[in-house]
Amino acid sequence: MKLGAPERAVLLAFADDEHLMGQRHTEWIGVAPFLEEDLAFSSIAQDELGHAVALYELVGGHDTEIDAYAFGRDRSAWRSCWLVEQPCTDWAAALVRHWLYDTAEWLRWEALSGSADERVRAVAERALQEERYHRRHADALLDALVGDEEADRRIGEALDHLLPLAVALFDAGQEASGADVTVVGPPLVELVNPWRAEVDRRFGPRPWSSVEPPAGHDRAVRSQHFDEVHDRMREVISLDPTATW
Amino acid sequence: MRTYEVFLKREGKDEFRHAGSLDAATPELALVLARENYARRAEGRLMWVVDRADILTADESFLAPNVDRPHRHNDGALVAARRRAQRESS
Repeated sequence: MKLGAPERAVLLAFADDEHLMGQRHTEWIGVAPFLEEDLAFSSIAQDELGHAVALYELVGGHDTEIDAYAFGRDRSAWRSCWLVEQPCTDWAAALVRHWLYDTAEWLRWEALSGSADERVRAVAERALQEERYHRRHADALLDALVGDEEADRRIGEALDHLLPLAVALFDAGQEASGADVTVVGPPLVELVNPWRAEVDRRFGPRPWSSVEPPAGHDRAVRSQHFDEVHDRMREVISLDPTATW
Repeated sequence: MRTYEVFLKREGKDEFRHAGSLDAATPELALVLARENYARRAEGRLMWVVDRADILTADESFLAPNVDRPHRHNDGALVAARRRAQRESS
């Protein structure tokens, strides 16, 4: 089955999200709050990078040079949402984003798991297995923290900051409009309600009417934080384009 | 934080073996962190995670009287010799 441009746009947006989420999570290597978490969070980051590779292959076909595609593309070709471009240097923010993102990610993979395209279906089914664990990990950490005064305050602050960015994730962008639902599932925007219900269940009812995407949010436009993460992940390849690692 | 001991069992007839330990704030966290810290490369097909405080332990003084019991270390040589002698005489 050949994917059309709108379907590829849906998958590219997802791939770029996964790639940057993985890159941002890896920033906690060596500095997570405790050793066991350090390893677990980095391992989850690797899973997300693995999902990005699988999605980039679907977008570009199996002969795609993944490194060239992932690291060499012009910044104007990126379609990530701004949530994954955020630095989140506070652990509370990183943890809350982990939960918000993975809950959305779960719904996105579920939508793809019913695809008429068997390659898409296979990637989704594999990813769902990993996501089941990712979500359990995020919930277990939050369960341990909820009820502690300082934790509740910091989680609340992180939610205030991140929810507008998180709802913006559900805009797949103009290029994705009209994508075949039998291939990529329902439009991303339709997943926002089930996601909100999950957020309400986890953190208590939120005032959704006042949660608006940040002004100017557009997957075709890079946020102010993109260059920093993009430069960092290109550090090696910028020094030596032929380097292998 | 509590300390947990992690045991893994490979596919097949191997028994559960001690894989290591970790600190975790809750039992659920112990389980999810044990998965990443000790089983992320498919080192086991089944996993036990046990709160160290729940393990019954015996110290040296409890086990010491068993150290000096040479008569319990039977290598079977004596029995083998008697069987051989019986075979030869019959």
